[in-house]
Amino acid sequence: MDRKDVKKWVKEPGKMGHKYSFWVVYFCTGCGIIEVPPVITSRWDAERFGIIPAATPRQANLFLITGYVSLKTLRPIIRTYEQMPEPKHTIGLGSCPINGGMYWDSYNTIKHLDKYMPIDGWIAGCMPRPEAIIVAITHLWTLIDKGMAKGYVRYREQYKYYRANQEKVLGRLEWPPLFPIKELKAQNG
Amino acid sequence: MDKLKQELGLFFKDTQMDIPEADRLLVSVKKEQIISILKFLKGKGYDHLVLISCVDWFKEKEFELVYILTCYPEKGHIILKTRISRENAEFKTVIPIFKNAEPYERELHELFGINFAGHPRLTPLFLEREYKIPPFRKDFDTRKYVEEVFGPIPPVEETE
Amino acid sequence: MRKRELEMFFGPQHLGMVGNLSITLQVEGDRILKAETNPGYLHRGFEKLMEYRSWIQNFPMVCRINVVEPDSMEMVYAMAVEKLAKIEVPERAHYIRSIYLELARVGSHLFGLWAYANMLGFDTVAQWAMYHRDLILDLFEELTGARVYHIYLWPGGVRRDFPEGFKDKIVNTLHSIGGCVPDYDSTFFNNRLFYERAKGIGRLTCEEAKELGAVGQVLRATGAKLDIRKIEPYAAYQDIDFAVPVREDGDTFSRIWVIRDEMIESVHMIFKLLDKMPQGEVYNKVPNPFKWKIPKGEAYVRVESSRGELGLYMVSNGGDKPYRAHFRTPSYTHGLVILEKLLKGASIADVGNIMISLYVVAPEIDR
Repeated sequence: MDRKDVKKWVKEPGKMGHKYSFWVVYFCTGCGIIEVPPVITSRWDAERFGIIPAATPRQANLFLITGYVSLKTLRPIIRTYEQMPEPKHTIGLGSCPINGGMYWDSYNTIKHLDKYMPIDGWIAGCMPRPEAIIVAITHLWTLIDKGMAKGYVRYREQYKYYRANQEKVLGRLEWPPLFPIKELKAQNG
Repeated sequence: MDKLKQELGLFFKDTQMDIPEADRLLVSVKKEQIISILKFLKGKGYDHLVLISCVDWFKEKEFELVYILTCYPEKGHIILKTRISRENAEFKTVIPIFKNAEPYERELHELFGINFAGHPRLTPLFLEREYKIPPFRKDFDTRKYVEEVFGPIPPVEETE
Repeated sequence: MRKRELEMFFGPQHLGMVGNLSITLQVEGDRILKAETNPGYLHRGFEKLMEYRSWIQNFPMVCRINVVEPDSMEMVYAMAVEKLAKIEVPERAHYIRSIYLELARVGSHLFGLWAYANMLGFDTVAQWAMYHRDLILDLFEELTGARVYHIYLWPGGVRRDFPEGFKDKIVNTLHSIGGCVPDYDSTFFNNRLFYERAKGIGRLTCEEAKELGAVGQVLRATGAKLDIRKIEPYAAYQDIDFAVPVREDGDTFSRIWVIRDEMIESVHMIFKLLDKMPQGEVYNKVPNPFKWKIPKGEAYVRVESSRGELGLYMVSNGGDKPYRAHFRTPSYTHGLVILEKLLKGASIADVGNIMISLYVVAPEIDR
């Protein structure tokens, strides 16, 4: 390590430790899952960046949403996201979470994923190359250094709007609100 | 295939048969005769049910059910077609003859709204919510539905 | 009497699940009493979307049904369009299509080997398999420009010819993969642990498989020597002779061995096809593909993909868009009928074993 790195580690050891050890939740959400095993195996080894797959969401702090999201998949995704401990980050892979992508006129897919869950970064492409996924992770490191990757803080502060969007598209949700919403209860009651 | 066509013509009246190319037989029947024709063809060796499909002829106000059968070591396939009405779409199940017809009929029930009498498990297979018109019918406009539920989509110019 | 049954969800977020599928299990102790597959997490309404796009615009759509092997989907759609519109394909294009499909078959089997070896715990073999699949994807990238979704087939031939020196590159890559087969055998296929884990699990007899509509290597592992490349040959398969590997027992062990034999046979087939390939054109011109109307009719075509018989039933109304397209994918009966039957009476530790050896790909069920 050279002197710049030693200074950074001494000033903010928590942040450096958090950046260089992302554990990814093992959830194969959509068709982007075809380019994630090449990233994890020996050719574009992601373990040298500190990334390994984690078995449960309680042990993870990065969520890769690979590809399009259908209505039925949105429920487990929101439940998995709410079970992850803070600080947590999400990355949307592919063009489909950005604006609907190729299935823009399908009755069963979500068009803008940002309305239902906070997303920290997007990777365009169909499919993005494994190098693009690694470049996105290094980009996320820069955002964390500058303090700009605050998706989970947005979720906490604007939970009322996220929950209203989720209920509009999914109907009744079986789990109670994660953060207390006093204004919504007053309207319904 | 010619021999099979002659035998079918002997046993079943009121059918329209056609051999457009070698190894392909197209048979159109009335809906009361489907179960007996399927049993007859299974006895002749065509025991692999490949597909049960449905085509929505909107202008003629009818559904057309399509059954495709093959006999594995030989070339060629048989396509059986029948028409049922669009308003009360109902039919009998063919599970006693072919055991793997169960998921095909379940899917047609969910996506087209056809009711199969005698099916053990007609629960939703793919869809998450109820739709007023079953989604694969021709009068369900998917682009209008997307605009209502998910928000506006950018305009697309169609060149005719 | 206390109730000992429990309902468990082998849900989409699970370490043993490859793909987005969920199974509801009713369990007593360690034995499964009833299993119900719960598909639909990847449903896009594909066949409805195809009715809104013209014949040529559907090619990029059709690839994305099967994520692991998109090439057989393109092939079956191109064959259906050619049959409806009565277009001929030149001889060299037939050979190029066969080589393309066989390379895709080897890549898809290597992906399946990654999933299966990872699940059993043989991580070394999984890493090797993924690395070799990446070498094949490099070949595809040089030929078509993309690693995964190559839109290379065109009704009437293929889009462009082989570049310079491509034949030697194919031969070198396949030699380097084929030279590792003794390593694979001694580490995985002849391993005592694999034998103990997989022998006798998920057994299917020949009559049951035919009655339930099994196709592909699930049927070939029970002893029936049936392959669509021999029964109803398409592309250039009638010009070369190849063997169809078959095993007797019908359990997980036989299915994985059939996959290994098929991979080796595909490599030999590619060498034979490369020797016999003629020179000539690679596509026949189609009149104005963007405003192309196909005459009225219907067609059913089928292809042997790496999982079994893949079919497409297409109806045309005389317009410039398909009127109805219905895919018959091999994972449909395997995942919805055969999986439920095989899991009855199995133990919980074998669910991943049986599911991955049946080679079920979730987007193929939902479309």
